[in-house]
Amino acid sequence: MSLHHPYDDTLARFAAGTLAAGPSLVVSTHVAGCAECRSRVRLFEAVGGAMLEEATASSVRPELFANALKRIEETAERPTPRRVASPLDRVPMTAWRSLGGGFAWRRLTLPYAPDANIIMLKVQPGQRMPHHTHSGTEYTQVLQGSFHDDYGRYVAGDCIEADDDIDHQPTIDSDVECICLAAVEGRLRLRGFIARMVQPFLGL
Amino acid sequence: MPIALVRRVMTSDSSPHGRLGVTSDDLKALMAAVANQRDKAAYGRLFQHFAPRIVGFMERAGVGRTDAEEIAQDTLVSVWRKAELYDPRQAAVSTWVFTIARNLRIDMARRATRRRNGAAAMGEPEIELVDSAEDEAIAGERDARVRDAMKTLSREQATVLRLSFYSEKPHAEIARELGIPLGTVKSRVRLAMAKIRPLLENES
Repeated sequence: MSLHHPYDDTLARFAAGTLAAGPSLVVSTHVAGCAECRSRVRLFEAVGGAMLEEATASSVRPELFANALKRIEETAERPTPRRVASPLDRVPMTAWRSLGGGFAWRRLTLPYAPDANIIMLKVQPGQRMPHHTHSGTEYTQVLQGSFHDDYGRYVAGDCIEADDDIDHQPTIDSDVECICLAAVEGRLRLRGFIARMVQPFLGL
Repeated sequence: MPIALVRRVMTSDSSPHGRLGVTSDDLKALMAAVANQRDKAAYGRLFQHFAPRIVGFMERAGVGRTDAEEIAQDTLVSVWRKAELYDPRQAAVSTWVFTIARNLRIDMARRATRRRNGAAAMGEPEIELVDSAEDEAIAGERDARVRDAMKTLSREQATVLRLSFYSEKPHAEIARELGIPLGTVKSRVRLAMAKIRPLLENES
């Protein structure tokens, strides 16, 4: 389990553009607030540049260049550096739905990846999450508040990658509600009373 | 990814930069001519250098010929339009071009998914990093260091890195290529990456 930042191979896949849409959204959110990981992504983008440079040159039809010339002559608009919004800004999400017992959740849907399992979970201070394991890798970004489990303590800005061998029961230890963004590669398995209550709602 | 393709991915290319003898500094000079003088001859040389490589890179990543050509053409049109946004202190031209091509490839896949699902078009979050002053300070000679470091990687390290860039399912491909059970691939990949990153950063 990575405790505070995504693994390097995850950042490499993010930089390469090969990371799945759900995990990619979580990593975007983390990277936007983490200079160290931005620098690692830059490093892997440089790897991408080197790979492009050494790629086998494939012959291209001459029309490709002719068409490009035509297109660049057509438009004369000047580029404007775009101000990048928060990665979550334009993601459609449901309203918060209470699960009782100090838990609420909402589902995020990416129009370009409707099958991606992405949720936000909001937990009241002092609550214990249900004991759970994962059947795939789960990517979690702490958006607000903090919690701890047997492995460590996590605060807003931290990103946690948990594999299927992780069985943990996080406890919220902040004064404010703890809000997490999570993308699951596989199905999330939950145990215990709240778990049985949560699972049908999550549809995971 | 078919085995034949994996083998091609695995075959390490010779000549790190340009068979045509185009150096990293040459590319920067060509970019400056395009940005400052709107020099079409310089643009032609950039097109000639990058379009065949982008098509080659995309085909290796499993993108069909027609789509690979579309990505290459769109990338080069962006190179012209965004030329003045390119900052030679930040990254090599190849790295900048790689990020444009990567975003276009992601965009193309997302548009296809939306079309299949009949979802309306919306602004897509792209992989775009906003740098702080502190990020810029360490940019320096990153590209040159990364290129040198990539020559020192072991076969397994090179495989892990390449498949991260060329495969949407790198773990399964790595398991097949290196003959490791899928279950242990993740930890092996993370170990390999943990060794690769310091090499790339030249900190070892």
